[in-house]
Amino acid sequence: MEVLKVDQITKKYEKKTALANISLEIPAGVCFGLVGPNGAGKSTLLKIIASVIRNFQGKIRLTNPRMKIGYVPQEIALEETVTAQDNLVFFGKLYGLSGKALTLRIEEVLEEIGLTERAKDKVTTFSGGMKRRLNIGCALLHQPDLIIMDEPTVGIDPQSRRYIFQMIERLKQKGATIIYASHYMEEIERICDEAAFLDHGKVVENGRISMILEKHGKPSIFVSGNDCMPSGLESFGMLQEKAESYLLITRDPLQAMEYIVEYCKRSGSHPERLELAKPRLEDIFFSLTGSQLRE
Amino acid sequence: MNAIIKLELKKNIQDRGMIFWTLVLPILFTVLFISVFTSGLNEAESQPVILSIVPGYTVMFVFFIMITMTESMIKDQNNGLVARIASTPLSSYLYLLGKWVPYMYIVFIQIVILLLFGKVVYNVPIEQLFYIIVLAFILTFMVTGLGLALAILVKTTNMGIALTQVLALGGALIGGLWMPLEMMPELLQTISRFTPQYWGHQGFREAMTGTLAMGDFFKISSVLLGFGILGFILALIGYPNFLKRTTG
Repeated sequence: MEVLKVDQITKKYEKKTALANISLEIPAGVCFGLVGPNGAGKSTLLKIIASVIRNFQGKIRLTNPRMKIGYVPQEIALEETVTAQDNLVFFGKLYGLSGKALTLRIEEVLEEIGLTERAKDKVTTFSGGMKRRLNIGCALLHQPDLIIMDEPTVGIDPQSRRYIFQMIERLKQKGATIIYASHYMEEIERICDEAAFLDHGKVVENGRISMILEKHGKPSIFVSGNDCMPSGLESFGMLQEKAESYLLITRDPLQAMEYIVEYCKRSGSHPERLELAKPRLEDIFFSLTGSQLRE
Repeated sequence: MNAIIKLELKKNIQDRGMIFWTLVLPILFTVLFISVFTSGLNEAESQPVILSIVPGYTVMFVFFIMITMTESMIKDQNNGLVARIASTPLSSYLYLLGKWVPYMYIVFIQIVILLLFGKVVYNVPIEQLFYIIVLAFILTFMVTGLGLALAILVKTTNMGIALTQVLALGGALIGGLWMPLEMMPELLQTISRFTPQYWGHQGFREAMTGTLAMGDFFKISSVLLGFGILGFILALIGYPNFLKRTTG
């Protein structure tokens, strides 16, 4: 069952259309990825869902209108001149928490984001990764059912990124639904169950990631080395040639590989690399949207 | 809203720059100018000068809170705090109020300290204490109301600083805070009545010497309140655009 329905949302900024009649359904308890290049409309859609933008066409339908939503903006939206604890108290109060309940939740969230030891330190003294974690923590205080994360790993070290992924896993296990926007495809592939591809304000594909990979992803064979390309390879699929290497995208990789190996045996050539590559989300994204630069 | 008030106060108390602008610099200016303008004068001749400079510089320097208010709002806008707060249950108008009230506390305390400094160091009279307290409240409302409008309407901190200088220094010059009005051309004396600085200065000076009639007190209070309400209305009118710039 879905927790949220995005129903024919259109948002225009003067002459530019940021979102063009977008419809999506976000199922409960999943991590839903929003993928797209800069300017695709990801942040605009998230801001609409989080009620930051209220001037748009279409409808956002929440299954439970009293659902608690936590919004993690793309910017590090913290008051950096005060401590981590002060920021958590501030946002906790804005979400309606107070007294012992607030104190307890702050302790839990500090533990969750790994900042218990630095709670009394000013945010200005934090690293980028710590700020990002606190940025997420401030949206978790009221134990939201739906967590909206807009590129929460931008500009941080691999350790902090991994920590955030683990945090997201724990939130999923606790039953939260997460909408996660990113332009890093490997992140989406790693942590999301479902995804929607956005480009020029439109959804170009959406569904379970495994389904998208199966539907669009074709395995490929990468070969490098001298005289390793038999004639007639085009009959197996699409061939992309480069200097002393080629990539064969095919639906029948084993047969194609056998054909290449047989040819190499006969001709006595030795490939430097002969690899069977599984399809990646990034390749599918480029094949659906093209690879030219956006604005 | 209380959360915003507390955070804003905490942030400002830690800000040494603001303490410099609101207290240190006005006290330095007061001491410096009193020593310059009273040098060679006897006590009786010095008293009117001191009585003009102490409330005059108090009124002039309260205007500089507008810079801090503008900086705070623009910073919140740029770092995404305004957008983030818009996603919480807090209404946008309570946010606006939460950003206003802390500066009222700060300006009121600033006025009290600067006038007390005048009393303790230069023994300025404080004859009509009730009027002085009420005028301090109204001056606080007026200057923070105008500050709020400025913070909402300008798009950059630099623009806010520039306009504050024009309002604070221009108003101080025309409003007779730097030199006695009698020494200024007649046209400027007429124009000075359109500045809040003139009314604030007159009110404090007369209340300190005990010559502020009730009618004049109401007149001065009404004018200052009018400026404050004008600022608040301008802020309310500009606020939807401010939010739009922030949240899209």
